[in-house]
Amino acid sequence: MRPVVEVRELCKRYGDRTVVDHVDLDVAEGEIVGLLGSNGAGKTTTVECISGLRRPDSGSVRVLGLDPQADGPQLRSLVGSQLQDSSLPDRLRVGEAIELFRDSRALPSGSGPVNGLLQAFGLTEHRRQPFSALSGGQRQRLFLVLALLNRPRLVILDELTQGLDPASRRDVWDAVRSLRDAGTTVLLVTHYMDEAQALCDRVAVLDDGRVLDVGAPVQLVDRHAPWATVRFGATLGGVPIESLRAIEGVRSVRRLGTQVEVHGDRRMIAHLCASLVGWGDVPGDLSVVMPDLEEAVIDLLARGDRRALELTGGSR
Amino acid sequence: MNAILKLVRTELRLVLREPLVLAFVFAFPILTVLVIAGSFGADDADAFANVDPSQWYVASYLAVVIAAIGLVMVPVHLAGYRERGVLRRFTAAGFPRWSFAVAQLIVGVSLTMVASGVLLVVAGLFYGLPPVGNPLATTVGVVLGAVSFTSVGLLLGAVLPNARAAQGVGLLVFFPSFLLGGGGPPPDAMSATMRQIARLLPLTHVTGAIRDPWLGLGTGTWHLAIVAGVLMLSVLGWRRAVRL
Repeated sequence: MRPVVEVRELCKRYGDRTVVDHVDLDVAEGEIVGLLGSNGAGKTTTVECISGLRRPDSGSVRVLGLDPQADGPQLRSLVGSQLQDSSLPDRLRVGEAIELFRDSRALPSGSGPVNGLLQAFGLTEHRRQPFSALSGGQRQRLFLVLALLNRPRLVILDELTQGLDPASRRDVWDAVRSLRDAGTTVLLVTHYMDEAQALCDRVAVLDDGRVLDVGAPVQLVDRHAPWATVRFGATLGGVPIESLRAIEGVRSVRRLGTQVEVHGDRRMIAHLCASLVGWGDVPGDLSVVMPDLEEAVIDLLARGDRRALELTGGSR
Repeated sequence: MNAILKLVRTELRLVLREPLVLAFVFAFPILTVLVIAGSFGADDADAFANVDPSQWYVASYLAVVIAAIGLVMVPVHLAGYRERGVLRRFTAAGFPRWSFAVAQLIVGVSLTMVASGVLLVVAGLFYGLPPVGNPLATTVGVVLGAVSFTSVGLLLGAVLPNARAAQGVGLLVFFPSFLLGGGGPPPDAMSATMRQIARLLPLTHVTGAIRDPWLGLGTGTWHLAIVAGVLMLSVLGWRRAVRL
C-alpha cells in the first residue's frame, strides 16, 4: 500500500542556511509518526513542506498521492493541521471558528458530531467564548477540534502540547490516541521525548536538517542506548567490586553511599543476577533502570555532533 | 467563492467588535465633522469655493472614513494577523492566499458604506445634506477611493513587521493626510507650501473625486485618475510583497 506521506530527498534553504537536507520519510496509513529533534533541526520546515505552506527547493513530497504545491486546494480538505506559532483572531468565538473552518467534508453542524467533538475535547461550555478568553490548553484543544472537523485522513500536529500543564498534556495525548484508533494517520512534531515515546509508532530523529535515524521508539533505544543499570544495597561483605567488574557485559561499577551501581549492556543483567544468587547474596532492593527514548536520542544526537565535528574539522 | 464569503462574514463581525475600528472609523469622523463644520460661518464661503462650509465638510468627510479604514484599520489588522500566525492558520486550512486580500477589500468597501451612511445621517441632522450634483461620479469616487485606500492598507499590512509598527506608520500617514487632504482647512486657506504638499497626498484626490462631483465643483475626473493610479501601484506592490 502506498504511504500516506512520501518524502524523498527533500531540501529547503533559507538564504545560505540549509534547513532541510535530503530528508526521506514515509508515513503509513493509520500510523502515528513523530519528528523529533532540537530547536532548529528542521522539523517544522519539513511539515510545512508536507502541508504545502512552503515550496521545497528540491526533492519530492507526495501526500495521499498528491503534490501539496500543485494540488493544494484538493489536499487541504484531506489534511488537518495544527501549526506551531499560529493563532486565531482574538475576538473570534469558538462556535464561529468552527463555522469558518468547516468545509464540504466537515462533520454535520448542530447537535450531532460537532457537538460530540466539542464535548470530547471539553469545549462545549466555551462555544460562545472568544479565542482570547481561552486558556492555553483550551486553545490547543480547539486547534485539535478544527484540525479534525473536516474528517481528515492525515493530521499534522506541530508542538501540540507546548506550554500545557501536565494534566492538559495527558488529555491531549488521549485525544491523539483516539485519532489513531479511529484510523487517522498522524504526523507529530515534538521535542518532548516522553510525548514521542507515549504516542508514536515510529519516530524520525532530525538534526541540522538531516534524518539521523527512523524506527519504533523501542528500536531506537535498542540501537542507540543498548545498556542497563542495576542498583542494589551494598550488602556484599565478601564480594569485592573487582568480581562485579569481571562479570560479562559489565562496563562500570561504582558505590553510591550504601548502594552499588552496575552499568553495562543488557545481557549483563542476567549474568549479574546469576552471580549474586551464586554468591548467596541476594539483595532485596535490586532495581533495574532501562534507558528510555530520551537517552537514545541524546546519544544519537551526540554521535551526530561528533560526526559533524569530524566532517567540519571542528568548526561546528 | 464560498471561502471569500465565509471570510467576509467573519471579518465583518470581527471588525465591528474591534474598539479601534469603532473609535477611528465611526466616532472620529463624526466628532470631527460636527466640530469643524460648525466652526465656520456662511461668511467664510470664499475660502470654500463659494460653498457653505458645513456642506463642504459634509461632502469631504467620506474621504476621512476611507482614510481611517485604509491607513489605520486594515494595516493594523493585517499586520497583527501576520504577526500572530492567523494567516498561516487560514492558509493551512485551505483558504487561498489571495482570498484574505479579496475579503479585506470587500470588508473595507462595505465598512466605508456603513460608516459613511452613519456619518451622513448624524451630520445631516445637524447641518443638512448638500444635494448631490452628479450621483454616478460621486458614487464612483467613493467606491474607487475605498478600494484604492484598502489596497494601500493591504500593502502596508503586508510589509510592516507587526501591528505596532502598522499603527505607528498608519497614524503618521493618516493625520497629515487628514489635515491637508480633506478634513482640515480648505486649499484656499492654506499657504502655498501646504497647498503644494496637499496636492501630493493621495487622500486629497480621493476627497476631490467625491466632493467635486457632489458639490458641482467639477467632474473629479483628474482626481479619479490619480486615485486609480494609487490603486494600481498598491496592488502591484502588494502582489510583489506577498508573492502570489
